Amino acid sequence: MGVPFEALIPYGIMLAMFGVTGAGLSKIRHMQNGGKRARHSVDQWDRVMMDRDRRLTGYLRGQTDSPSAPAGFELNNPWRLEKRII
Amino acid sequence: MAGRQPRFNQTTLIDTTPLPAEIPPVTEIGSSSAPLLSASFFIGARCKPYNDDFMQCKSESNGKGEIDCLKEGRKVTRCARSVIEDVNKHCLEEFRKHWTCLDNNNQQLWQCRPAEWKLNKCVFDNLKLEKVIPDTPAGETPVHLKKRSTYSHHGP
Repeated sequence: MGVPFEALIPYGIMLAMFGVTGAGLSKIRHMQNGGKRARHSVDQWDRVMMDRDRRLTGYLRGQTDSPSAPAGFELNNPWRLEKRII
Repeated sequence: MAGRQPRFNQTTLIDTTPLPAEIPPVTEIGSSSAPLLSASFFIGARCKPYNDDFMQCKSESNGKGEIDCLKEGRKVTRCARSVIEDVNKHCLEEFRKHWTCLDNNNQQLWQCRPAEWKLNKCVFDNLKLEKVIPDTPAGETPVHLKKRSTYSHHGP
């Protein structure tokens, strides 16, 4: 007796659907992160470092390894202002 | 009031007044997070006295550390900058491979050990700086020298 392949077709369809959505989501996150894998478990230290990367390079995931900062780096950390509520 | 993080900020303010003239200007380090993490142990190996001075000044200054410890901070910046310049001059390829690997792996050092071993060898040969993890228990191999790592993407 051969393998009853008609019974396995629904499993194949489910596997393909999960695979396509998983790969598509992963590709979207890849594109959102500038061609790199997404970061997870980001804590306050990582948030501050990523903000510094954005001030240095213009992109949240951009990296450079030059020893000197570009001109204007000392000044581009803004004070964040809130409006008064009362 | 200025001690808490802003929650609902709608506008930002950039203050362009320069520092007073008696403070000598120092160019800030232009490396972002992954190269700095990659070079961090070498910066620690070369700049340990300056870093310890700065940390001691900050902890003894009773909250006025931002104003009182500028001189020690300038020394720390200049020393770290010299380490990054030297690593760029001698070991640029291995350095770039290591921090590109770190950037792809959520800045986790344990995922990128093969690239790190090559970088450590190159830096030790050229700059005589060795990565040492302080407070490793005696008799145990340090974690960056272990050959097997179970969950990393590069296998045991």
